[in-house]
Amino acid sequence: MSGTSRAQLCFLLLSVTALRGHARFLDIQQDNEISPEGLLSLLSSELKRELPEEFVYSRALRCLDMVAVEGQFTFTAERPQLNCAVFFIGEPSDIISVEYDSVNIDCRGGDFIKVFDGWVMKGEKFPSTQDHPLPLYKRYSDYCDTGVTRPIVRSSQNVAMLFFRLHQSGSSFTVTFRKLINPFPCNVVSQTPEGSFTMIIPQQHRNCSFSIIYPVEIQIGELNLGQHNDLKRSILGCPGSGDFVELLGGNGMDTSKMYPMADLCYSFNGPAQMKVGCDNTVVRMVSSGKFINRVSFQYRLLGHQELQQMKGNSIEDVCLRA
Amino acid sequence: MKLNFLVTTVALLVAFPPPYECRAIESSSNQPAADPDGERQAPPVLARLGEEYFIRLGNRDQNPLRSPADSFPETSQYSKRALQLQLTQRLLEGKVGNIGRLDGNYALRALDSVERERRSEEPPISLDLTFHLLREVLEMARAEQMAQQAHSNRKMMEIFGK
Repeated sequence: MSGTSRAQLCFLLLSVTALRGHARFLDIQQDNEISPEGLLSLLSSELKRELPEEFVYSRALRCLDMVAVEGQFTFTAERPQLNCAVFFIGEPSDIISVEYDSVNIDCRGGDFIKVFDGWVMKGEKFPSTQDHPLPLYKRYSDYCDTGVTRPIVRSSQNVAMLFFRLHQSGSSFTVTFRKLINPFPCNVVSQTPEGSFTMIIPQQHRNCSFSIIYPVEIQIGELNLGQHNDLKRSILGCPGSGDFVELLGGNGMDTSKMYPMADLCYSFNGPAQMKVGCDNTVVRMVSSGKFINRVSFQYRLLGHQELQQMKGNSIEDVCLRA
Repeated sequence: MKLNFLVTTVALLVAFPPPYECRAIESSSNQPAADPDGERQAPPVLARLGEEYFIRLGNRDQNPLRSPADSFPETSQYSKRALQLQLTQRLLEGKVGNIGRLDGNYALRALDSVERERRSEEPPISLDLTFHLLREVLEMARAEQMAQQAHSNRKMMEIFGK
């Protein structure tokens, strides 16, 4: 094979693998010649950019745990553990990848390991069933059913969960947790009680929620809803408009069960702020798909004094009442 | 007198829970960590009062009716915060008590029915957890992430410095 056609073939292979999002590099050995082994390595599924073993973070997993850092996590049952759950969380622009490395459980004996696409607490799911692209049963991925054939499970947003039950002491499993980039994050749980975020829905018919599991003051800096600010919206109000932003507050994870605190269906610049004294505060954008919608906001934790003042001022507090 | 009555009511309610399914108000109250006696290995007690659920870690003197929309601790309570995180860590490691044991009703829901049904038919798994505990584990995860970031930054500086 001539040098030119070899180089062209390499370029073609690199392009194909680049489309999958995995980068490759060629090991050029001697005389700047691309060897057959180097070519074949492009097709290998092993990612040569992986860090050597000593640089991969690893620790033992607890029965109730939260993981925010990439690495390898092992759970070993010293005694039967029947109700265990691990939360995974990444940055807002990440999605989670959970890979089973080695699993030593007894599926027939009732052991299981399930990955859930989202977070679920007391039966309430984030993202809600209205906001998630998959039906509920598809959001649970059971190792005993599909884990061997499909060892990598990816979430649709920056949070995921692992549920497991191990009956026998000595059972164990190891998972690798990675974060992958998500260019248009839709549903997000904030890692911090303070921060800022810009949510963009680029002409997609979907609903996106940004959840902050603290009582916060939200300051909306800019809201850009489509191109029209016509009179129809003022007649129909926000629910009549296909594109709007709502502020929700509640004491559960499910956004469909939370109380609307404010509706915004006009584009505007300039800060508008609101204090939400609930355990969970959500900025939710509903998008028809006709426009590119964008909302930028900041949030900060409400202090004890502020919460007391809010409680004193309001006649009824929907969060307390819930 | 009032406190005795309250404690008796709580004990009765815990012993004989009503048959309907209650929704929880998550208490973000932090008073359980306020007492230094938390160092002893008293198992956490999940107390139920009406529709309020919270975890008390051994201190019975606190008013259990404090507002659930209560504080995230001020920065002036560093020592209490550290103690609280330590208690949470112990809880997670199972030394203080099994999270499943805390709460016969509120552990993974539908678990009993799971054991009766085949796996493909079992209802979706969930976890009962207060927002307070969720925030605690989130903080621990964030601390771990920052420590790991600092560690890998140091390693990279060592590599580039050579």
